[in-house]
Amino acid sequence: MNFYDFHVHSEFSEGESSIEEIAKRAKLLNYKGICFTTYLDDKSKIKKTKEIVSKLSKKIEVDIFIGFEARNTSELDKLIRLRRDYDVLLVKGSDLILNRKAVETKEVNILTHPEYNRKDSGFNHVMAELAAENNVAIEVNFREILNSSKNTRANIMHKIKNNVELCKKYNVPVVICSGAVTHWQLRDPKVLISMGCLLGLELNEAKKAMSEVPENIIKMVKERQDEKWIRPGVKVV
Amino acid sequence: MKQKKMKILQPTLREKQRYIALQVISEESEELNYSDLEAAVWNTMLDFLGEEGVSKTSVWLMKDCWDQKRQKGILRCNNKSVQEVIASLGLIDRLGDNRITFKILRISGTIKSIREKL
Repeated sequence: MNFYDFHVHSEFSEGESSIEEIAKRAKLLNYKGICFTTYLDDKSKIKKTKEIVSKLSKKIEVDIFIGFEARNTSELDKLIRLRRDYDVLLVKGSDLILNRKAVETKEVNILTHPEYNRKDSGFNHVMAELAAENNVAIEVNFREILNSSKNTRANIMHKIKNNVELCKKYNVPVVICSGAVTHWQLRDPKVLISMGCLLGLELNEAKKAMSEVPENIIKMVKERQDEKWIRPGVKVV
Repeated sequence: MKQKKMKILQPTLREKQRYIALQVISEESEELNYSDLEAAVWNTMLDFLGEEGVSKTSVWLMKDCWDQKRQKGILRCNNKSVQEVIASLGLIDRLGDNRITFKILRISGTIKSIREKL
């Protein structure tokens, strides 16, 4: 089974480790591919990251993707306009308006940690229906659990469990990511699958969240990057 | 007086075990010893699962299977708590000043088969 981690930060965004260090560690932990997530500060970043990634991908034999994480609605609008230039579009959850906009937008692939820094879970049945309709995956972020402890960890896990339950009910794709900011925070896929099981997913669902769901995202992205693709359902033949 | 030995339970009545082969990857490839690792596993599991939760796992880091040089070892638990034990391992990120991470090599039902592949 091929496993993917679609939310890893390198030194290009908030991370501490270099792309090479992370890619090597991912290879050691038997990942088929990883997605480096960064923020849109300037457009030249896309080109620069692409060049480094294409060299490394061949050298280390790990599929490397470039993802952009939108932190607010204006950034999301900008990223939608540049959608063909990168691979994965993630939206940083926490703000309710942004969470809602993310699940309403077909171009978005992943809504990361909707419960982040919130008292509630940041995700409800209306959003779940929209996410299922627009095929937006909801992320279970391991770093949130790793970096917290005691009552904070218990609260975070409770909120994630609620979101997972809603996702299961409304057939929303779930994706489990490490959210690592250093290569030391990358975890073995089996660890993330086990955590998924503790958060309410069945074993096959947790495995799917690390393999099938990311594979579907890649497939969709490649289809969209094709020159013949115009919009969902419309293609030059 | 020599104590009388207890009769061994029938295989069907015994607890079903799972053996998890793991490798510790540590910063600057520093060699970790068994007792440090055992303490880290116990502390993290007690923090994460609680005393009652750990009692259900029958977890044990096997001393005779710990390979100090290759940093590989075997963790034993019962078949119903494999996910809890592996998830807890993921929450260990430091051992003293050393940053560590675990690679799960294999999960097996018999110690013989897992020793062959270790």
